Amino acid sequence: MESRTEFKIKSPPTDAVSAVEFGPNSTQFLLVSSWDSTVRLYDIHANTMRLKYNHDLPVLDVAFQDAVHAYSGGLGNTLKMYDINSNSESIMGTHDKPIRKIEYCAAVNAILTGGWDAAVKLWDPRTPTCVGSYLQPDVVLALSVCGDKFVVGTAKRKVCIWDLRNMAGMFQRRESSLKYQTRCIKGFPNEQGYVLSSIEGRVAVEYLDTTPEAQKKKYAFKCHRIKENNVEHIYPVNAISFHSTYNTFATGGSDGYVNIWDGFNKKRLCQFHRYNAGVAALSFSHDGSVLAIGVSYLNEAEIPPGGNDEREIYIRYVNDQETKPK
Amino acid sequence: MQVHKEAIDKVPNSLPNRSNIEIEIYGMEGIPPNDAKEHERQRNGGRPGSPSSGEDEPVRKKAKPEGLLGSAPGAMPTGSNMMPGVMPGMAAHPGMPPMGSFPPPMHHMMGPMGPVGPPFMGPGMMPGMAGMPPGIQQPVSGASIPPTRPLFPSAAAVSTATSTAVSSPLGTDFKPITSVAGGSIGPVKPTFPAYSNADSNTTTNNNIGSDQKVNLIATTSAAIKIIHPPEDLSLEEIRARLPKYQRRQTQETRTVQTADASQQAAVLQQQQQQQQQQQQQQAAAANAAAAFQDQQQRQQAALNALQQQQQQRFQRPPQAVMVPASAAMPVSSVALMAPLMRPTMTLAAPALIHGGNMMRPPPMGLPPGKSL
Repeated sequence: MESRTEFKIKSPPTDAVSAVEFGPNSTQFLLVSSWDSTVRLYDIHANTMRLKYNHDLPVLDVAFQDAVHAYSGGLGNTLKMYDINSNSESIMGTHDKPIRKIEYCAAVNAILTGGWDAAVKLWDPRTPTCVGSYLQPDVVLALSVCGDKFVVGTAKRKVCIWDLRNMAGMFQRRESSLKYQTRCIKGFPNEQGYVLSSIEGRVAVEYLDTTPEAQKKKYAFKCHRIKENNVEHIYPVNAISFHSTYNTFATGGSDGYVNIWDGFNKKRLCQFHRYNAGVAALSFSHDGSVLAIGVSYLNEAEIPPGGNDEREIYIRYVNDQETKPK
Repeated sequence: MQVHKEAIDKVPNSLPNRSNIEIEIYGMEGIPPNDAKEHERQRNGGRPGSPSSGEDEPVRKKAKPEGLLGSAPGAMPTGSNMMPGVMPGMAAHPGMPPMGSFPPPMHHMMGPMGPVGPPFMGPGMMPGMAGMPPGIQQPVSGASIPPTRPLFPSAAAVSTATSTAVSSPLGTDFKPITSVAGGSIGPVKPTFPAYSNADSNTTTNNNIGSDQKVNLIATTSAAIKIIHPPEDLSLEEIRARLPKYQRRQTQETRTVQTADASQQAAVLQQQQQQQQQQQQQQAAAANAAAAFQDQQQRQQAALNALQQQQQQRFQRPPQAVMVPASAAMPVSSVALMAPLMRPTMTLAAPALIHGGNMMRPPPMGLPPGKSL
């Protein structure tokens, strides 16, 4: 059945997809959080929904800790842990405002959450407690682990880098090199830097090392723009996902396209067909062989493109030609 | 006319209105009277930027620093154009020494300018440069940074951000950082709380109540369109205000209750009541929308809405009876989250009052326009 390169997942969420994430060491399981207040676990080999649990309000992000533990949070401010084996959920704690981003940090075996209360909180999965809360300069919009550091993107284009080995203070404080609101941040698998996207069809490749030689390598490029009737429509770049072995990355935009880029050689490797709504979420599987594409209209425009309000999750089997640097 | 044995009838590659080959200008002689007049007009404060005035721009810029030496920082960002412009500033330099407090601010200035200056400025320029801003420089050293920022973002970032402190210990290798990180964080700490306090204050302002303060996303020209709502909030923050994400929770709670208690009829009734209530809420919201422009009026409207809801609650005791049922929900977090969720407020009066200021009018103002 894997002969088809792309298919839709059956029984998708009933509202917009907010996040998709593959399990840490298999291409079989995919977590999906949604504005319909659910978190769903799909078996993409059999194309079935394995389980579903509810929040009280829309869920904005979900993360695997390991193959059997999922963490989710959203507008309800609460961080939930779900044990997939025992089908039981427990509440880890809360933010003062909605939780926007959840990341698992393998380096210290901890869960990181970033919220609209301008806090990043660190959670210990063994003793379900919050072990630290770190004030950020503004509302957290993006968060990504990068080795033993993590990068926080907030409103007003602030970027804060923290070192998990020393959380006494911020490691670096920067301003986004893009002129518009930060939309998504993802750390390179090689832990040297991160990719940051904005709402204005643009992506920046940044390096953590602040020496001039390293900083010389940083750059930004335009993407996810469509020219229609002599007006250039510029779309938010909603999602970024790295191919763990090739260090190439996919971006998904509200224009409905997924592009795959070779960040080191500044090349676009491929572009998929246009989806029927914006691409809201992306996730490569751990081995980079499968890409999950969450497609949803996120109220970017007054009317959905083409009047469509599609909510689908596409599973696409990608090949080396699409993902490997040439 | 012949050039290189080829007859030409217009100046090749020229601006459309400058292709005339008849005009011969040598030095300042031979300029057509019309163009000379136009040039004079523009020099004397005519509008710049008209297409023909392109060549006149530098002249105008030169004139500015001459006249406005004191406020010259405004001219600083013009980069290489500075060269001619600064000359007069240097002429003024001999007059500077009488200012007793001159040397210290100069030191100050060298900080931010350091990375910027050398590439295109001769050493002789520096005094002239430093001579200009002292007036502003002294009170707040940071004040001089904003004008320079747009031109040299990276340089400004280096000078303003704490990364200067960080960059020195940072080698090409990451390992040494741990040992130094503590030291480098020293200077970060004092600045951060101040920043974050200010910032978090503004964000709370932004998020609660006063939506006028939210920045708008600037679009630069008519030929491009950023597909994003005008407010500079994330798509999720904007979407979260949709009424359905406030409402849903109550409905789902209710359905869960049905499942638990299997009281379909009661719930139906309740949903009707709830709908009624929503209609009333919307009516209140309409009121609120009418009074939208005025902050005080808005608050009052919200108060009205509060009162209405309270009255309603007293009229309908059955709903209060349902309160314990909500505890039967699988999710025990209701109490924790109550203050933020408007729907639960219909269940718990204290939460409603407590969360009063969370009930910002905008979500309520939305329904009349956007409700289905």
